Amino acid sequence: MSFKNVRVKIDELKTRAALIKNLQLSIGNVMEETWEEHVGPTPFPSVTSLREWDMKLLKRYKPYYLPFCELCCLCTFGKCDLSEGKRGACGIDMAAQQSRIVLLACCIGAATHIAHARHLVEHLIEKFGRSHPIDVGGVHVKLEAPITRLVCGVRPKTLGDLEGILDYLETQVTHLLSATHTGQEGNNLDFESKVFHAGMIDHVGLEIADIAQVAAYGFPKADPEAPLVDLGFGAIDINKPVIMCVGHNVVPTVGIVDYIKSNGLDGQVEVCGLCCTAHDTTRYYPKAKIVGPISWQIRFIRSGVPDVVILDEQCIRTDALNEAQRIKAPVIVTSDKNCMGLPNRTGDPPDTIVDDLITGKVPGVLILDPELVGEVAVRTAVKVAPLRKKFKTLPETSDVISGAKLCRKCNNCKRVCPQDLDIPEAMETAANGDLSLLADLYEFCIGCTRCEHVCPVELPIHSFIVKAGEKQLKAEIFKIRSGRGAIQDTEIRNVGSPIVLGEIPGILAAVGCANYAKGGREVAEICMEFANRRYIVVTSGCAAMSAAMYKNGEGKTPYEMFTGNFEAGCIVNVGSCVTNSHIAGAAIKIASIFAKRNLRANYEEIADYILNRVGAVGLAWGAMSQKAASIASGFWRLGIPVIVGPHGAKYRRMLMGRKDREEDWYVYDARTGERVYVGPTPEHLFYAAETKEEAMVMIAKLCMRPNDTTKGRAIKLTHYIDLHKRMYGKIPDDIHMFVRTKADIPITMKDEILKILEERGWKETRIPDPTLLPRLIRRRKEE
Amino acid sequence: MSMFEDIPVEVGVIYEGERIRRKEMQVEFGGPNIEHKFELVRVKSPDEIEDGKITIIGPDIKDMPEGSSHPLGILVEVAGAQLESELEGVIERRIHEYCNFIEGIMHLNQRYDIWLRLSKKSYQKGLNSLVYIGKVLHKLFKSELPIIEKIQITFITDTERVKEPWKEALEIYEARDARARGLKDEEVDTFYGCTLCQSFAPTHVCIITPQRYSNCGAISWFDGRASARIDPKGPVFAIEKGELLDPVKGEYSGVNEMAKQKTLGEVTRVWLYSAFGHPHTSCGCFEGVAFYIPEVDGFGVVHRGYREPTVNGLPFSTLADSTAGGRQIDGFHGISIEYMRSPKFLQADGGWNRVVWMPFEVKERVKDFIPKEIVDKIATEKEANTIEELKKFLQEKGHPIVERWKTLPAEAKAIAVEEEAVEMPAEAPVATLPTLPITAGGFKIILKDAKIYAKKVIIRIEKPEKKG
Repeated sequence: MSFKNVRVKIDELKTRAALIKNLQLSIGNVMEETWEEHVGPTPFPSVTSLREWDMKLLKRYKPYYLPFCELCCLCTFGKCDLSEGKRGACGIDMAAQQSRIVLLACCIGAATHIAHARHLVEHLIEKFGRSHPIDVGGVHVKLEAPITRLVCGVRPKTLGDLEGILDYLETQVTHLLSATHTGQEGNNLDFESKVFHAGMIDHVGLEIADIAQVAAYGFPKADPEAPLVDLGFGAIDINKPVIMCVGHNVVPTVGIVDYIKSNGLDGQVEVCGLCCTAHDTTRYYPKAKIVGPISWQIRFIRSGVPDVVILDEQCIRTDALNEAQRIKAPVIVTSDKNCMGLPNRTGDPPDTIVDDLITGKVPGVLILDPELVGEVAVRTAVKVAPLRKKFKTLPETSDVISGAKLCRKCNNCKRVCPQDLDIPEAMETAANGDLSLLADLYEFCIGCTRCEHVCPVELPIHSFIVKAGEKQLKAEIFKIRSGRGAIQDTEIRNVGSPIVLGEIPGILAAVGCANYAKGGREVAEICMEFANRRYIVVTSGCAAMSAAMYKNGEGKTPYEMFTGNFEAGCIVNVGSCVTNSHIAGAAIKIASIFAKRNLRANYEEIADYILNRVGAVGLAWGAMSQKAASIASGFWRLGIPVIVGPHGAKYRRMLMGRKDREEDWYVYDARTGERVYVGPTPEHLFYAAETKEEAMVMIAKLCMRPNDTTKGRAIKLTHYIDLHKRMYGKIPDDIHMFVRTKADIPITMKDEILKILEERGWKETRIPDPTLLPRLIRRRKEE
Repeated sequence: MSMFEDIPVEVGVIYEGERIRRKEMQVEFGGPNIEHKFELVRVKSPDEIEDGKITIIGPDIKDMPEGSSHPLGILVEVAGAQLESELEGVIERRIHEYCNFIEGIMHLNQRYDIWLRLSKKSYQKGLNSLVYIGKVLHKLFKSELPIIEKIQITFITDTERVKEPWKEALEIYEARDARARGLKDEEVDTFYGCTLCQSFAPTHVCIITPQRYSNCGAISWFDGRASARIDPKGPVFAIEKGELLDPVKGEYSGVNEMAKQKTLGEVTRVWLYSAFGHPHTSCGCFEGVAFYIPEVDGFGVVHRGYREPTVNGLPFSTLADSTAGGRQIDGFHGISIEYMRSPKFLQADGGWNRVVWMPFEVKERVKDFIPKEIVDKIATEKEANTIEELKKFLQEKGHPIVERWKTLPAEAKAIAVEEEAVEMPAEAPVATLPTLPITAGGFKIILKDAKIYAKKVIIRIEKPEKKG
């Protein structure tokens, strides 16, 4: 427990020695020192504290830049063309400029999470008090904040304890952001090191946001049996007033749910949401429904179903207000990050706000008080619903056909479509009365509506696609296990032995946004493939929703087919974006729980442990945002590789190992100090895959780690080879790099692999106690 | 090219865990409705075995009607210079693993309990004879266990002719079990060590003896023996147990030497049968923890599946955390469930007479191995959830531990368990005021309108001294 800014006033105090009058005592920070674990080398690390570790990683995983734009136009010297080795007016080169933009993106991402955390913590302290305890899993979660402990070296026990940590994070983001100013950092590797720092800081922010809301709102506390909740357009009862909440910050939606409950309206109003707010709403109120990932925003509004639209923060369509106006649904914006030009009515009486919204006097309002949001939203929804009678903007089929006849086949729509969907062709068949090709586009459309903005005849193309796919949309009725939060310490311990004995080949985290190249179904397919192969599969964010949008022959969704326990063959939804911290946290806990490594301010050693031992891989198949970039960077610094989908190449650079450079793949054997070749394990830190199949092969491959036991390596190789054979029809050409001793060879493939090893001139190596840090080499005692 | 070109279906680790439901099945062998079923490995002399011979006694798969159930005996006979009958059980368990590698074969259980199903899909692909299963077994046994030099496999599906060998098999299992249970640490020269866990916990080494299973519960002395022979460079290795230094505590010179070597001097002595002094180290994956309860001078035992706080208020996770990571911690001891079935269980500390509490579930599992006179005197969560309730229970039942209370001096009880949640009221800083250094002796200090600022104040909770 600790206090911040304690002020004590005493009018008169008599002690044996003194009489004190009007004593005022002001203490900046009171910290209770009950944590006996010794403080590691890097408490509250500065921008450069972990630079050496970063450089170790960057030496092996060299940045490979993919300039999205070859110009820099950030200052008035420019624009500067940086192509073909040219430098800009400030002297910057292409590599530094690319990494600088990556840093900018990561600063935006980190700032967004940290500001979100700050808002949550401030609000929750106001409501629950500074001394409200941080309990995220009762007796099963002793390590309540692994990332915070690891990075900052403090152990938060109450909501109040989180404030000081946020101070630190905010300072770091300011420092990092300042480095992107013209004429600051000039070296690309130093920019990359700062990117890692931004990612690490971001992870602390994520963790704080989630443990605060779990502790205060009573979300599922590391519960493997968190309730199964409804997901999908078809699950929403359109006969009730429908409140649609979009964004990431659950506070205003909690206001809505509380109002519903305390006014006897439970079950009479439908609360549904998109993106992470939806996740967190179900964690608070399992009757709430999830419409789907972020790309469902426009199609859901245009369906006319929402009676009131609530916007909080992050990943919200900035034209949501316009769209909502078309269906005559009042909008309430609730965050200082996103006011949409609407009047601030926070100080007004609810009656007048509700009236203004119902009569359409204003299309929407800004309300910064979550309880007031609750009252206004619910009262407005109840009153406006009968008036709206589900005002629909989805066109009739006949409208689609007649509209399609106007299509000029200019191809503008196809050209701007990020998915390259063949809209003109679909329009042509639609003009002849056949909507099937348009319907086929539904699954792949990410709902960006760029096509509509370039259409010379202003066809509502997105609406046409949704109309054609209406049957599919309405059939979207799935179950998802509500976000469970942290992984229990006991669960970590339980998977210890199967990981060591090779029964669990790895951990796959399917996370991130919904900017998929080929629809969200691929995420579900990947998750199931790996769960069937007895990997531990965890999900979060929009990817967790996409993973739910599949049904097997018996009508069961993946969350019903696979266990919610963190164990072999599970599919575990941790929750919203901020719960990504629990995925990183689980990897950190492995080091603490199995090996009893100190966590406290001991970042480098733990990251080294994870890089060399914990076979975890992140998959952000539809990563879109700057937040996704900073989350990924946090994983890299921790030694966890991340794979992104085809659009991920637009993040401007990959971090790729070179398996052909033998010298890159040596580690120290901590037992002897010798340098040992361990093969390219893991081969990359950041990799964009073009197809689902390529991603699956890469997932299996990147789960290999230098410490794998022979049984573990054999199983990992089996999956790698099997998936590779399935995709490319042949055995991978690099297996000899992953076989250390003959016992590593998958037993059912011994003959063919032995032959390959012989052809490649393979030599046996040994399995070290691997580390990249010379200081961890242990000296033999007593000798 | 592939090892299994002559097999009509795929063979691979990824098929393990395949489930075949009744409606997907072509035929099944064994299972709950068939009495005569078994699988057995026997070590023979080389001249008794024709390597690669596969025999089927009775109808083969292709002769069986779709959806039918049949008896089955799988007799695997092996020979090799290094093989001995003690390894039969270990080899036998591989039948399960290897059968499951075959696409469309589900193999459950072991010994006299086996249950195999073949899927229609694989049958249609041509898997229509037990010979194929025999070939896979032959191939995998030979390539995985080079100590097997010759192997022949017999499948018995004939309803009558399976009965006799089934009866013999039952007798062999019985004899094997009796021998395994009866085998004492004193009767062997060699123990086994395992450093598999060093991949995650670099200072841990498990010592596996006939009467002390590996902490994870996965490796018996027999398993260790087999592993060490099959893969001499692997993580399991033989330990010449050396001189018996202390028969009660279970200290062996060879074990000490090996522990020292494998932990780089971190651990120099190991007492196999004690939770005090130099207890066996605890890795990360032990099945349970024996924990000392100073208030009653006895041990609680908790297994990892127990989700509630134990009798001293601490849950498994906290207790486990007190000992994990390859350390020797007095009074906190990672163990396997099987070790509780051993007569050497905490022998130096009083054995079962010292155990006072354990969860109902684990007590049920080991009940038959707890001495009859003590079994009802050990509390579970049904009888005691606090130390007070525990004390009362032990007194009422006359647990032998109660006798120790009389003979021990009272202060021998202060073992420190880290208690963290020391609640402090929000106005705590006020309470510290009288102890501010204003109490300078002799003077009367009057502070008016005093303002004291501090950027940071650290409060340390004073803890009672720990007893090691």
